[in-house]
Amino acid sequence: MIGATDTQSEVSTASARAGGGASAKSAQITVDIADLAVTNKPSKIITHSLGSCIGVTIWDPEVRVGGMIHYMLPDGALSPEKAKAKPAMFATTGVPALFRAAFAMGAVKKRLIVKVAGGSTLLDDNGTFNIGKRNYVMLRKLLWKNEILIKSEDVGGAISRTLVLDVATGRVVIRNRNGEREL
Amino acid sequence: MTNIDHILDQIDTLPALPTTSVKIVSIIGNPNASVGEIVEAIKYDQALTGEVLRLCNSAYFGLSRQITSLNDAMVCLGTLKLLQLVMAVHTNGILNQPQAGYGLEGGMLWRQSVATAIAAAEFAKAARYPNVNLAFTAGLLQGIGKLVLSSYVAKSANEILRLVDEEHKSFDDAEKAVLGSTHSEIGALVAERWKLPEVIVRSIRHQHDPSALSPPDTLVDIVHLALCTVLLMGISLGTDGLCYRADESVMARHGLTHADLEVVGMNMCTELQRLAALQESPSVAVGASS
Repeated sequence: MIGATDTQSEVSTASARAGGGASAKSAQITVDIADLAVTNKPSKIITHSLGSCIGVTIWDPEVRVGGMIHYMLPDGALSPEKAKAKPAMFATTGVPALFRAAFAMGAVKKRLIVKVAGGSTLLDDNGTFNIGKRNYVMLRKLLWKNEILIKSEDVGGAISRTLVLDVATGRVVIRNRNGEREL
Repeated sequence: MTNIDHILDQIDTLPALPTTSVKIVSIIGNPNASVGEIVEAIKYDQALTGEVLRLCNSAYFGLSRQITSLNDAMVCLGTLKLLQLVMAVHTNGILNQPQAGYGLEGGMLWRQSVATAIAAAEFAKAARYPNVNLAFTAGLLQGIGKLVLSSYVAKSANEILRLVDEEHKSFDDAEKAVLGSTHSEIGALVAERWKLPEVIVRSIRHQHDPSALSPPDTLVDIVHLALCTVLLMGISLGTDGLCYRADESVMARHGLTHADLEVVGMNMCTELQRLAALQESPSVAVGASS
């Protein structure tokens, strides 16, 4: 179980690599599709190409622990085997894993700032193709049950998004083809 | 000379698909083709034979013994798996270039194409379409029109995106309005020029409007669903993003539900990550083919 008992400072299956200056400050962690990362180092966590997938960032301003997930599908019941092997593929298994990993590093639920991006869909879609909406609804349900609020979000539409969390400052930025803005 | 004439001229300057690929696609398109014909098509192409053997001996397949000949490879892996890999690798040279008009960096179009191919093979199984290899190949080639149209899209990007954002046109409708043609139409012309089977030409032309065909064509439906899934899963999205129409009637036509879509998306991503690892892995040394 990710982060349940561990005391290390970084929980990630994502590719972590040092950025330009190769110092800890400029380190960047890339979260791939169906992946998550949590750290208490002053890194930037980034994920690209969010379509109907959802990216969730969490950040505790007091202990400066931050994390991000890029999940693909709403419900791990679709494939218990895949949900076990790759929990971050699904909202139902990945989102709890993300929070648990942050708690293990000292983050506290009440302090966590949660931001959400993605959930795009194709044009002319009346439901069958709307994985983005189902992904979003499942997240709302999970967070509501656990009394966690979403601070801000940028969801829906037909665009691709890049999501960046700066763990040093808690700043979250959304990039799309029209430019970037703070979330 | 009009814009569209310029674009059509460009089709002739595109590098040709390797002869072996054209042969393989023709064989795949023929339901009566035999394993022997496939071996025949590959064995005179030494570079391809070498690549096939390298792939067979890579960790991806996890075989316990070394494969040293094409016949060996066919027996151990089955023709289906092997042909898919050969086609994916063989189109890499053509599809790997950056396509600035669509905001695609080097490798992105190839990755999106392979993802569509994998998803098409999955949908072929779900829709009980008999020729899974043909579905894979059609999915792999659906984006070839972008190779030609990219530079024209780049020049008119502001106008195309204005139509998408303000008039809520799909990206291909905006291409049609501004450039006089779409990447689907141009892709079909490229496929004709490459002498690919008519069914593949059709699936490229109607990838975004499968219901325009009467009666509908299952392969075209499959390519449409595969592409929709790949865009939804966010595989190599460009500036066109998800700005394409999803045709719901296609799902109903084949008795598919959103759960089928999710299963295909899940399997496609898993397979794509394995294939990508294969591409990045260093060459596995293989002995001379016998």
